[in-house]
Amino acid sequence: MQYLVSVIADGADRATPEEMAAIDAFNDRLMAEGHWVFAAGLESPSSATVIDNRGEEALVTDGPFLESKEYLIGFWVMEAADLDVMLKLAAEGSKACNRKLEVRPFAR
Amino acid sequence: MVASLTRRFGDLDIAEEAAAEAFATAVERWPADGIPPRPGAWLTTTANRKAIDRIRRENKRDDKQKEAQLLYDDDPPGPLDAIDDERLRLIFTCCHPALAMETRVALTLRMVAGLTVPEIARAFLVQEAAMGQRITRAKAKIKAARIPYRVPSAEDLPPRVSGVLTVLFLVFNEGYLASGPGTDPVRHDLTAEAIRLTRLIRGLMPQDGEVAGLLALMLLTEARRTARISASGDLVPLDEQDRGAWDAELIAEGHRLVRERLAAGVAPGRYQILAAINAVHTYARDIRDTDWSQVIALYDQLVRIDRSPIIVLNRAIAVAELDGPEVALAAVDGLEARLAGYYLYHATRADLLRRLGRSQESRAAYDRAIELAGNAAETAYLIRRRDQLGAAPGPG
Repeated sequence: MQYLVSVIADGADRATPEEMAAIDAFNDRLMAEGHWVFAAGLESPSSATVIDNRGEEALVTDGPFLESKEYLIGFWVMEAADLDVMLKLAAEGSKACNRKLEVRPFAR
Repeated sequence: MVASLTRRFGDLDIAEEAAAEAFATAVERWPADGIPPRPGAWLTTTANRKAIDRIRRENKRDDKQKEAQLLYDDDPPGPLDAIDDERLRLIFTCCHPALAMETRVALTLRMVAGLTVPEIARAFLVQEAAMGQRITRAKAKIKAARIPYRVPSAEDLPPRVSGVLTVLFLVFNEGYLASGPGTDPVRHDLTAEAIRLTRLIRGLMPQDGEVAGLLALMLLTEARRTARISASGDLVPLDEQDRGAWDAELIAEGHRLVRERLAAGVAPGRYQILAAINAVHTYARDIRDTDWSQVIALYDQLVRIDRSPIIVLNRAIAVAELDGPEVALAAVDGLEARLAGYYLYHATRADLLRRLGRSQESRAAYDRAIELAGNAAETAYLIRRRDQLGAAPGPG
């Protein structure tokens, strides 16, 4: 069962060297135990572009789709047998990257 | 299966309904959770449980004796049977930390206690449609996020049990606050149900202090239920209750549990301390025999682990008995900023002011308490106390 684990940031600070080391160690563990599917960090929301082509013309907007204090800064796709396993991993992940995480199941 | 159920319960209607519910549950759950290793046994166990729950609900309404039996622990502690195991899995699933607290309570009442959606909605003063949605969404989340249907492993148990105890305490309080005329009778079932489920958890974790503490607290509180309501349906405060009407058996068991925890020599958690406070109260034959300094010492312990202003408030009520209302009022007034919206804060002030002869201020405090109180019996009680103050002074 796959989950999207989103990393939520609320300030401009990027990961510190300590956090990066902890994240690397965490990712190694995820891979070794078969939970790691994919992971990536994202550029800041100001680097985003929104495209809306639902109407006559494709509308292009500079910036993220939602202006908010909290925003997405990275994510994992993880494999776990159930939510209990997933939450334990996410707890460690939150500690490692020092951020709030959102755990959301993929639609089946 | 219906045949065996009918044989066991002697009621075809119950048997058929229980069987249908069991199948419905299976259809709902097995696709997500997988078919259990022994599907026939699972179905039978589930149906048995549903039938028992239904019988209990029906009997409770007609038969006080049977209701009482549900409270008392007649069976010696033994290994949990299949039905208990089923119920434990359900409780832990319904009380999963990924679900909001109000959702956990609603789900536990629906799936474990077997209350209907309208009954739960009435108990929590919520619209039936909203309550139905809450439960439907919760079930959908359990399925979509794959919340596992099992009792947590030994290492995961302690924090999970804590969550379950919170839910059970909330359920108990909902039932306990039910009082006075016109109250929905289903709420009386809630205290018995909370006690029954807490006993179940205790069967799973007989050494856990907070489980024992919560059970003791519930028993000692439930023991006073009938004395708490007068013949005319009014609320009777602790100092006026007929202690002869207290349930001696429940009190004895509660005291036994409290003594057991004291002997364990482990630092007590909040339920154990609250139970001990109730034990001190129920130990006294008369309000004047209450060991108030012991009560205050216990509140001192409680304040160290739970900084809720309500605990400080309750401690002040005990202080009034030992050091007088003036000292207590000073402590209570200090809580104004945090408890201004809480009716018992104003009710406490009102009572202390009354004892100090400050009738006008007392009246004002009663007015505020009455405005904020939600429970009909509590409101009626406060109105009575306020009216006892005498006529309000005229203009000029």
